[in-house]
Amino acid sequence: MQATKDSFYITLRDRLVAVDPNRTIMLDGATRPAIVVVENEPPGTPPTLCDAFYLYWGAARPARPEAGTLMEMECVISYRTKGSDANGNLDRGRDLASLDNDILAMCSPPNSEKCDYSTGTDVDLGSTIFWTPPVFSALVNAPPYVGREASITVFFYPEVDQT
Amino acid sequence: MPDTDASINLIPGRQFALGRAADAFLRALGGTKVTLRISDPSAGDTNSQLGITSPTAEDIVIAPAKVQMMQPAGVALRDDKRRWQVMFSARALHAAAEPYGVTDLCAWLTGSQGIVYRGRLIPITSVISSSFADGEYMYIAIATE
Repeated sequence: MQATKDSFYITLRDRLVAVDPNRTIMLDGATRPAIVVVENEPPGTPPTLCDAFYLYWGAARPARPEAGTLMEMECVISYRTKGSDANGNLDRGRDLASLDNDILAMCSPPNSEKCDYSTGTDVDLGSTIFWTPPVFSALVNAPPYVGREASITVFFYPEVDQT
Repeated sequence: MPDTDASINLIPGRQFALGRAADAFLRALGGTKVTLRISDPSAGDTNSQLGITSPTAEDIVIAPAKVQMMQPAGVALRDDKRRWQVMFSARALHAAAEPYGVTDLCAWLTGSQGIVYRGRLIPITSVISSSFADGEYMYIAIATE
């Protein structure tokens, strides 16, 4: 499952760099694309940055037990913005729409090669992962922020032999 | 008649007196030093983003400072967590943070990994600063196990 998580993150990160190269954050003293896997960060680091995508991995289960070993895993991408001070924060909605667009761009096409990153380099596992289109939650208005979550189901074949 | 503080001609640099008093207060409490553990800047590469490369850290000794356990006094504190109040000398803290180019000491403390106390790393959950005449003289952090 870890290869699926890592491959999904790397795919979205690289696509974000391509479609919106200026969307970066400063985290732990380093500038990086504004997408973060929460479980990969030090415990106690609150996901508080605006205009950044936070990935939360959820439950995993067999997709169709009667049809084989295909599995599915839930991923929730959380993000929020407070607009820009230069515009009096009146552009919160527009900034949120821009984040929504980035999600759609990152998730298309809805598949990717699956690689093993555990050794520090990417090793192609000769398999692919694919996912559903993002489902956007209702807008959460928590002044001065507006935000939402996008839910995606990622499908993969586990790396272990289940036969 | 003077109508503002500025025209009263108060003693210049009076904030330093309170800084020295705070240091003396911490020493009188028996405080000696506190070890603060801060994370080194992330490499920002793929391995650190994937949680493969563990972040390195550095221990900084700050003195005078004082750690004392807090007694649960209010409803908000009635949980299973133990809390410690950590009082840092502002003067010592400024000196410790200066090499790192820190401008916001409260954010620096809360962003640290925590204090090392009796061999355990205890995260800092909140920080307030006390100031007088535009000069901080003490930082009080709450560390929660």
